[in-house]
Amino acid sequence: MAFYTCNELMAAATARELRDNELGFIGVGTDGRAYTLAVGIPMVAARLAQLSHAPNFTIFWNNLLSPKLDEIPPYLTQDYLTKWPCAFQPVTCEDKNEMLASERFDVSFDSAPQIDRFGNMNITAIGDYKKPKVRLVGCLAQPDHFAFVKRPIILTDLKRRTFIEKVDFITSVGYLDGGDSRIRAGLRPYGPWKVITDKCILNFDNENKEMQLESLHPGVTLEEVLDHMGFRPRIPEKIATTMEPTKEQVRVIRESIDPNHSLLRA
Amino acid sequence: MKSKLTTLEDAVRRVPSGSSIALGGSILRRQPMAFVREMIRQGKRDLTIFGYPCGLATDMLAGVGAVKRVEAVYTGLFQFGMSYNFRHAVENGELEIKDYPEVAQAARYQAAAMNIDFIVTKDLLGTGMAKYNPEDIVEMVSPFTGEKYHAVKAAKTDFTILHEYVADEYGNVQWPDHWDADDLDMLMAKASKRLIVTVEKIVPHNQITSQPNRTFIPHSWVEAVIEVPFGAHPAPCDAFYDEDDAHMEIYQSLSREPGRWRKEYAEKYIYGPKDHWEYLDTSLTPSRMARLIVR
Repeated sequence: MAFYTCNELMAAATARELRDNELGFIGVGTDGRAYTLAVGIPMVAARLAQLSHAPNFTIFWNNLLSPKLDEIPPYLTQDYLTKWPCAFQPVTCEDKNEMLASERFDVSFDSAPQIDRFGNMNITAIGDYKKPKVRLVGCLAQPDHFAFVKRPIILTDLKRRTFIEKVDFITSVGYLDGGDSRIRAGLRPYGPWKVITDKCILNFDNENKEMQLESLHPGVTLEEVLDHMGFRPRIPEKIATTMEPTKEQVRVIRESIDPNHSLLRA
Repeated sequence: MKSKLTTLEDAVRRVPSGSSIALGGSILRRQPMAFVREMIRQGKRDLTIFGYPCGLATDMLAGVGAVKRVEAVYTGLFQFGMSYNFRHAVENGELEIKDYPEVAQAARYQAAAMNIDFIVTKDLLGTGMAKYNPEDIVEMVSPFTGEKYHAVKAAKTDFTILHEYVADEYGNVQWPDHWDADDLDMLMAKASKRLIVTVEKIVPHNQITSQPNRTFIPHSWVEAVIEVPFGAHPAPCDAFYDEDDAHMEIYQSLSREPGRWRKEYAEKYIYGPKDHWEYLDTSLTPSRMARLIVR
């Protein structure tokens, strides 16, 4: 039995991707597992980073710039959000949008039920857009993250129906058709940075911008990963093992960052 | 300044079926729920809803088949899950949807506020939203740098409906001490043609004039103002009351199955009560109300 949970490992792995003095954008997650992936894990990761290598890492969440991550409220109901101590609570959303469009964010945390080989994501509709099999939530600011944020980090469980050759609908543009197609479409030379899943971590190769395996979580085999993907990613000759969280990180998560399991809840 | 005070029934009568309406608030917070329930009681239909993130208000209107089209960045219920009434209507092909990301959608209201036809954005390049909506999203190049952009249509609507904190009888709307403005209400107000505002409380005019920098929607933009306490229930109104999670769980458990929500929820909470006061008696007890109020 490992001394940590999969969510704790994902949070520690995400924390390692955050750098000192950076600004991160945490979005909205709708219910259950999607909430843990989009909000819970990023929040824990941001605090872990602050407590170790990135003391000046800060976030924008909901309408709060630099909320005090040592005072994460026990519940995220409206009144806790309204009164959570922070540096800046703008009087309109336009401020946040302008910050996005003027490329003030270094990282964002994004999740989707469909993602393809080139990191394009779909949170809008499964099947035909006009008469979908499943209508999803829409767009939110995810297309803005992928257009304007320097290193979007994707947090999604590895599933065959999630990792597919081509998404049904491109909500958020990753590397489009690979190579320099993203740049040719008129977008900035950014794009998704890492894909952190419950089984492995993937990144994108420098040239083709194709998804490639970076590390397997402890105890996970390559076969298992390929079994959970609808396409075959690039496999490097040497595959690393994802670093486990430290005992100290696990203690801090359980005792002080998330004692009520309101963040890592599903 | 002239008094803009009226009743919910009168204000809703001014909005004909077939109108395009910008609905304020965000997902749950400060959704104009009392106004929407009265719209449903008066049988409004064929509505085009403009939102930023849409939520409970849109879901309720979609649940009774009153919505023709939605133009928004999101429709869902955040921690309570998917917006099932809306979702079923889209999946059945009964409801047309035009999706926009946040930067583009906010820019569209900005264009309406500036009284121009369109505005440009870079966040739709390469997306499905642009591909499936060539009427309203048109690729163009900057005449100055040659860079690619999309021109997007201004978000001009017939009506704008907001639920806010306090106002005087003239429609000067003010912020409380602590509030959560993660929405576009102020911009939607600026962009409006006909603006109707429901508020938690009508306050004396001299309370407004003693702190005029708290006014974020001035009387000259407002057509009608109505006092509707608990007007966002079961959604929250920041600084006044929290979301009614028990009510939301009932709402969600009934809306998962198409048909059941209409029979069991809409009959009891929307069509049953004859007005907002009867709605409050049906949906809240004094102890529940006391627990939801925030201090």
